[in-house]
Amino acid sequence: MAIQWSLVLFTAIAGAGAWLFACVGASEFKTFGTKAAWPSSIVALVLLIIGGFASLSHLSHPERVFGALGHPTSGIFTEALLLGLTVLCVIVYMVLLKRETGEKARKVLAVAGIVLTVVFTFACGSSYMMASRATWNSIALPLGYLGTAAASGCSLYLLMCAIGKDDDAMGLAGLAAAGAGAAATVLSLVFGCTSGAAFGSDAPVFWVVVVVCGGAVPAVCGWLARKGGDKTLAYAAIACAGGLAGSIAFRAVMWMVGTAVMNCFGATL
Amino acid sequence: MTKHNCIVVNLDKCLGCYGCEVACKMENDVALGEHWSKVILRGPLGEYPNMVKYPLPTMCQQCENSPCVHVCPTGASYRDPDTGIVLIDKEKCIGCKYCMMACPYGVRDWNVATKTVEKCTLCGHLTAQGELPACVKSCAGGARFYGDLDDPDSDVSKELAKYAASDIHTLPDVGNAPATKYIMTSIHGAWKEGE
Repeated sequence: MAIQWSLVLFTAIAGAGAWLFACVGASEFKTFGTKAAWPSSIVALVLLIIGGFASLSHLSHPERVFGALGHPTSGIFTEALLLGLTVLCVIVYMVLLKRETGEKARKVLAVAGIVLTVVFTFACGSSYMMASRATWNSIALPLGYLGTAAASGCSLYLLMCAIGKDDDAMGLAGLAAAGAGAAATVLSLVFGCTSGAAFGSDAPVFWVVVVVCGGAVPAVCGWLARKGGDKTLAYAAIACAGGLAGSIAFRAVMWMVGTAVMNCFGATL
Repeated sequence: MTKHNCIVVNLDKCLGCYGCEVACKMENDVALGEHWSKVILRGPLGEYPNMVKYPLPTMCQQCENSPCVHVCPTGASYRDPDTGIVLIDKEKCIGCKYCMMACPYGVRDWNVATKTVEKCTLCGHLTAQGELPACVKSCAGGARFYGDLDDPDSDVSKELAKYAASDIHTLPDVGNAPATKYIMTSIHGAWKEGE
């Protein structure tokens, strides 16, 4: 099948938004990062909603989508449910944040947001684990979805902190971006090796955009940005751009290597 | 009790004339460029002098553990409880194409006009009236059979009963248990699918 761009953008954009909120949630347990919390929450909410609409744009008959309510075991239903719960979590968190109240409730929402983010970004990939597509049918795929979404979302949080000049939060944000970038590198490589994306005709896209831009760049730039300084904003912007490009490319590569079982035996159906 | 209706193709008798493909298109008004039934010319396979080449008619394999039904978010892909045939309710199809991804054989097609997924229905509109599917009726070589695998008196059971188990094949099974059977004896070639 051809690359389904609306699905690619759905998981890449919503995944970045979810991980951005997870970073905000993590900052709830620290005494810093408060300046970036509000604008980051707004951006996270916008990205989650845009991602949701990207998903709907994939459907040729979105008016029938509520039929999915009758089949709660499907991957699409699971993704929609987790996305909806994450959006709800962000909205309630923002209300409490604006009112400057409910510190304990905010912490509960932060934990819920982090858990939902991990499960949601993993579930987006696990929906594609099908016996019919040997290159997808591995735990490496959802882990790659998780890792690349984390790298883009954490890098975006780093950028939000840099734009808001939230110097106190830069250390943690930089480390988060570096850690997520390193994780994205490893998890992308695992998928690339198990699926063959690292060796076939799609290898240049995989190595340059997915591994280098999506993993190594956020890792290095996050590490360099953690101490602050004049170049912090530039490092954060590069990390964010690389993370998002890598996340999108990872999902596109998945489609590029996703041949059906019969194709493996020489038949082109 | 649910039936196991399916097609059996005897490749020893198949001429590779594409008549089944044409009959399917005519009967079901399958759009230009789309196929519910498709004949693939396989080969030459193997090494000289032991080489084989054969036509492989493909269509929905009526898998017993059909992945298309499992992944469908709205229940548009379903198994008919009376006939046991995997069908698509186009009124419920949201066009997510997950079933097309999940099908190991790529035998589901996209209808550009209705923006829904389509596939072989085993000509349910004909079989409901006691007729045979169009591809079976029109097969010039008498190579196609239709019926219930669980009924020993059905055309498919009677044809399969003529052959040894080693001569009866299925397309590669990745846990979906395709019901469609292909007969090919060593006299006419060697089954190469899944090797």
